Amino acid sequence: MNSKEIFAELEYAAEHPLESSKAWKEAHGTPVVGSFPMHFPGEMAHAAGALPVILQENHDPITVGHGMIFPFYCGYTRSVVDQACKGDYDFLDAIMFGDHCVQVLGAADVVRSRLPNTRVHFYQLISSMSDPWSLGRARETFLNLKEGLEEMIGHPIEDEAIRDSIRLFNKNRKMLRQLYEMRRAGKVRLTAKQMQLAVKSSMVMDKAKHNETLEALIAALEAESSTAQKGVRVYLSGHFCQAPKVELLDMIEDCGAVVVDDDLYHGQRFIATDVREDGDPLDALAEWYLARNLKVPCPTRVDQNADWENYLIDAMDRSNADGMIVLMAKFCEPHMFYYPEIKEAFERRGVPHLLIETEHELTALEGLKTRVETFLEVTKRQTRARSAAA
Amino acid sequence: MSQTIALPKKANRLRTASLNNKLVNDYWTEVFEAPKVGRKVCWYEGVAINPLMQAADVAWVHGEAWSALLAARNNEEPAQQASENRGYLKDLCSYARTHIGCGVMAQNKGEASGASFSDALGANALADNVPAPDMFISAYPYCSTGQQWDEMLYRLFKKKVPIFNISVPWVWGNKPDSVYLGGSEFREAVEYMKRQLRECVKFIEAQTGKPYDWDKLHEIMHYTKQAGQLRMEAMEMCATKPAPASFFDWTTSLAPVNFVPGGPAIVDYFEKVKLEIAERIANGEGTVPKERYRLFWDGIMNWNKIGWLANKFASYDAAMVAGRYTHMGFWHEHECIDANDPLEGMAINYLVCPINLSAPLMIEQIIKLCKFYEIDGVVLHAARTCRAFSNPQYMIAEAVARRLNLPVAMIEGDMVDESFYKDEVVSSRIEAMLEAIESRKRAGIAA
Repeated sequence: MNSKEIFAELEYAAEHPLESSKAWKEAHGTPVVGSFPMHFPGEMAHAAGALPVILQENHDPITVGHGMIFPFYCGYTRSVVDQACKGDYDFLDAIMFGDHCVQVLGAADVVRSRLPNTRVHFYQLISSMSDPWSLGRARETFLNLKEGLEEMIGHPIEDEAIRDSIRLFNKNRKMLRQLYEMRRAGKVRLTAKQMQLAVKSSMVMDKAKHNETLEALIAALEAESSTAQKGVRVYLSGHFCQAPKVELLDMIEDCGAVVVDDDLYHGQRFIATDVREDGDPLDALAEWYLARNLKVPCPTRVDQNADWENYLIDAMDRSNADGMIVLMAKFCEPHMFYYPEIKEAFERRGVPHLLIETEHELTALEGLKTRVETFLEVTKRQTRARSAAA
Repeated sequence: MSQTIALPKKANRLRTASLNNKLVNDYWTEVFEAPKVGRKVCWYEGVAINPLMQAADVAWVHGEAWSALLAARNNEEPAQQASENRGYLKDLCSYARTHIGCGVMAQNKGEASGASFSDALGANALADNVPAPDMFISAYPYCSTGQQWDEMLYRLFKKKVPIFNISVPWVWGNKPDSVYLGGSEFREAVEYMKRQLRECVKFIEAQTGKPYDWDKLHEIMHYTKQAGQLRMEAMEMCATKPAPASFFDWTTSLAPVNFVPGGPAIVDYFEKVKLEIAERIANGEGTVPKERYRLFWDGIMNWNKIGWLANKFASYDAAMVAGRYTHMGFWHEHECIDANDPLEGMAINYLVCPINLSAPLMIEQIIKLCKFYEIDGVVLHAARTCRAFSNPQYMIAEAVARRLNLPVAMIEGDMVDESFYKDEVVSSRIEAMLEAIESRKRAGIAA
């Protein structure tokens, strides 16, 4: 298969996660455990013999869900509630989650009320990352999660099974990072949409199957000739629980941007950190949980040892990006809180950036297009001026 | 913009509420004096951990209470403008925007003016004169926004002001033994909270450089428990018809069980309130001139509009008898407090505050209150920027309608951002609900 055909396969899973995981369940007889973003360790559910699926915002208009959640909530939570109200989650064996974003908690309560026969379990992850007890508390939480999964499957989960899952997930992250490195180095021409499909499909597909697909994809990309794209090198930042609309990503690139890197949840944020493969697996997962935030800081966590704005400036330097586009899901409170820190840091450094607020309902792209074009033009001029001065 | 339309009837507010104003003014006067007399100042958010600070002679600024006070005294706009200028978007928690705005103003100014509370109030300049923090403590139940708000303050003050985070577990209930105030998960959460409260005390000791005065904490909690008990008893007396006091009175009376120092004054306050209620019951005096409807308020208060809303409902002959905000929090589980070993009772009260229960547990408590107070209808105030309170409201509406056959009115507003309140929309929703109550009454359906 060539890379185009492989991406088509990934696209089906990424864009139809419930249908594809339902089909997997029917074909393999495995339970399906849905989870909410962004820090749930899929490794644990996998070790329990389940298919872990990160529940996604879908593209359907929100209808019946409006009867259970206010319109001033982010697109992700409104969409999840809508899907639950429409019965889309009925086939799930459990929903388990650990992030305590207030909007997700609201959605979770509605989801539980709509799924009276499904385990909807919450294992609250400590979100204050730099306390002396943060690591211990994270381990306690993962132990509770393990016990909850054991209760579901009716037998203990062996440590070696968790380590096997960790190895499988690490391999997956490593290959996805390889794709990023190939793109950053200009070895392959991969669009922002394609990168998203590669990562998003990993969130919903069986990991071993996804690994096979990625191996084939990397081989195909290496075999296909490619020339580096020309344009304004742009870094994409933000968008946590939900994937940015691919139409928006396409529009940004159509305007002349080359997306060279990102810290999106459906991107680097999801794949940046591996779990230690030896020793006690719960210790390893707790360490991973804290390490993730240092690797790619997240505004949903509070962490005295992480500075997202500095991370972004360094990440832009590393990827040789000329400007940054911030994608902010409307009503995302952690992002709204942190944005002024980023804005001030970028203004101090004279790094151009553009804030785009996104919504579940795709907003008129034409208006945004003008803003993106202007931003790219300004960025281009600043880059030229800097080169001339150097 | 303030409302100028005259309402035909006025609420019969509790006379003792004026004593509350004095307690509040005295407290803020002390806070404004704190730096001058060498007392450290702590900015904190979330549950009422002020006894912990009071025992260490640390002054405290509760972000929500401070933002509410600014709104109630029409002083909120400069702070909200300062936060907007820094790039905080309007859809963020308005409490946080207002409080962070004060931080922005303090940073811009460089040093405190030293103005007294009354001078600052007189000059309409409260926001930029609140003493800057020497420490932060975050203890937010349920709402992730609370912890992030403190983190942003910590960053705004350039990470130079020490911060302590108490992580409050949400009472969700994975296990079948989960009930209100009980079950293995709840017990674990209580123990976890107690561990963190002990660590918090160590943090406070480190900031003050003095050994912690546990005896003082026991004394404070002795008064707090008494105040909590008197308040609950006084509120329960409002099951009488006509209701002698309203949710709006209880909202005004939150300060003594939320941030006013624990001592004889808060006990005295609720004794007087209780007495006034007893007098009203004896005289058949209601909180509204004519009580035709008994309502329940779900959601947080709209601090810009307390008086306005109290009169508005009075003009509809509607007594807002009880509410989630007032009746399901603020030391309401006073029986759990052992003043000589107070951390457990404090932890329990923090965990079962009005937002920290998952919907099924919360709904049961609301149903009980609606039955006890013989409620005819439920007003759900969806505070636009407070998802913590708004989250379960559709489920609450569904539950009271199905189980108690109560009509509801969902209205939109906010805690301290007046711009989200649209009076005409509110009026039409309330009138529709009252009409539904009337039709039930006409049909002889007991609500």
